[in-house]
Amino acid sequence: MRISTIALANLKRRKGKALFLTAGISIGIGTAVALLSLSNSIREEIGSQLDRFGANIVVVPQSNNLALDYGGVAVSSVSFDVKQLKNQDAVDLHDIPYRDRLSVVSPKLLGAVKVEDTEALLAGVNFDDELKLKRWWQITGRRPVAEDEILVGYEVARVLGLIEPVAMAEMTSHSSHGSHGGGQFKISRERLQIAGRQHRVTGALAATSGPEDRMIFASLAHVQQLLQKSDQLSLIEVSALCKDCPVEDIVHQISDRLPHAKVSAIQQSVRAREHTIERLTRFSAVVSIVVLGIGALMIFTTMMGAVVERTKEIGVLRAIGFRKAHIIRGLMIEVSLISAAGGIIGWGAGMLAGWFALPYFAETEISFEIQPLLAVGAIAAGLVIGIVSSFYPIIRASRLDPSEAVRYV
Amino acid sequence: MKKVSFLKIEKVSKVYQENGAESAVRVLEEVSLEIKEGEFVCLMGPSGSGKSTLLTVVGAMNRPSEGRVVVDGIDVYGLSDEKRADYRREYLGFVFQQHHLMPYLNTAENAMLPLATLKMSAKEKRNQAMMVLERVGLADKALRLPNQLSGGEQGRLAIARAIINHPPLVLADEPTGALDTRTGREVMEVFLDLNAQGQTIFMVTHNPDNAALAHRIINICDGRIVDEMKEG
Repeated sequence: MRISTIALANLKRRKGKALFLTAGISIGIGTAVALLSLSNSIREEIGSQLDRFGANIVVVPQSNNLALDYGGVAVSSVSFDVKQLKNQDAVDLHDIPYRDRLSVVSPKLLGAVKVEDTEALLAGVNFDDELKLKRWWQITGRRPVAEDEILVGYEVARVLGLIEPVAMAEMTSHSSHGSHGGGQFKISRERLQIAGRQHRVTGALAATSGPEDRMIFASLAHVQQLLQKSDQLSLIEVSALCKDCPVEDIVHQISDRLPHAKVSAIQQSVRAREHTIERLTRFSAVVSIVVLGIGALMIFTTMMGAVVERTKEIGVLRAIGFRKAHIIRGLMIEVSLISAAGGIIGWGAGMLAGWFALPYFAETEISFEIQPLLAVGAIAAGLVIGIVSSFYPIIRASRLDPSEAVRYV
Repeated sequence: MKKVSFLKIEKVSKVYQENGAESAVRVLEEVSLEIKEGEFVCLMGPSGSGKSTLLTVVGAMNRPSEGRVVVDGIDVYGLSDEKRADYRREYLGFVFQQHHLMPYLNTAENAMLPLATLKMSAKEKRNQAMMVLERVGLADKALRLPNQLSGGEQGRLAIARAIINHPPLVLADEPTGALDTRTGREVMEVFLDLNAQGQTIFMVTHNPDNAALAHRIINICDGRIVDEMKEG
């Protein structure tokens, strides 16, 4: 017979109350664990997606002559630059130590060209890489394959009369129609003269509100030939997977490999990612705190009730020589066992809930990892919540004056 | 068993000032009393006369408004709260009218409850519990829960719990009050047996037949000792 024997016997006797308290802590901890593990997994997913979708590093020639602009990135006027980017630079870029983290490398040549009576920005790209990089592009028609085939941005297509709106009746019978804002369009003219040569318009981009709306895309080799800039590049867009590494490290490595180029991270992309992740984490933390707070309040009221209910018992124990510390120890053992059990069950339930819920929240297939540290944290959190919220009722129980308690004896 | 030369209650008064009440209620009025080692003293009086209050004052659970309770030269209420708890454990054994056994502990565990805070091996505690249960005739019911015992057996178990620590003084508050005549007698026989073996007993009772078995009967009325009778 020890104080722990009394505590254990009490838990057995008050099974319902013990289960109720355990359930309360489990729900609180489980919710927190589920949210944390979900947000961790979703954070991973967002990180991966943001890393994959869109360039986060841009390589441009070292230049002081800023003539054209592409997506907020200044593109030098090629003819006056001393240190040009070459096709080989896009190949050399794969030599950096972090080459495994390079998702897409998309070299480009940009140039202003005369298109019929107006001027437009022509971009030479490798369509395989470019379409991997610009996953949000919606093409009406098809991507160019042959040398003389082009893809036009929405504004270019509209201004040059390459597209026309589609009537509602037509929309239901045709599938290859693009959208712009609230409407649909189709390619109405397939031939376009660029720099004195005929080209075939195979596809038009839906409006993106980005620079591509005002651009024409053709194959890189063709544009190099058309602009008479053989082997030259205006810029190289790079999508790097920087989930677990700072993008700056990759920037440094590319700078070392291509010392004649200016390499910079697109801060917007990084900041957007950080902002999204921060909001997600903050939301999870707030919900977890609220749920744990409710759990703590429940434990507090239940323990206060238990102290009142056990006044007689505590009075008898005090009368037969139990010190305040003995009463505290006994109640603490009970609360600790309940809290630890709540923490363990909560962790298990939270992990299960997270595992089941993840497919509903994640857009891609991502792994759900069992984190042992989270289990330790859950048990510790359960203990802290249980003990902190029971602290006042337990102290109050220990301070029960035997003379008050003896009213019952 | 610790030796107590005497227990001395010196001019003890107890005043209850109820919250919001204008006048205070004087429950004990300058009560003085001495109990010698090995004595069996019964305290009698009508309801509300202050018997139970005096017992809790002697039991170091209810600080008197005035006066002292001295055991072995120690002023009990001069001790800190925790020391007073130690005093209760080492010097006193309580037997309550409703027995107040722990319903979730079996007979042996209830008996050894006062040993829970002591540094003794589980085997020693169990042996001690079995010895004391033997003494009150419950050794064969050690594993039963209190609700599986008769009223008389519950009373005897309450006595076993009170004496397991070998306290110099056993305080009993109407231990037969809730029992029928036969089981009440059964419990009284245990007290007499204990006393015959040298146990000092201070008992509150309403029952004159039980009181007649004591060495000394003290009558209390309106918080004052009004009469004292010795055996023989």
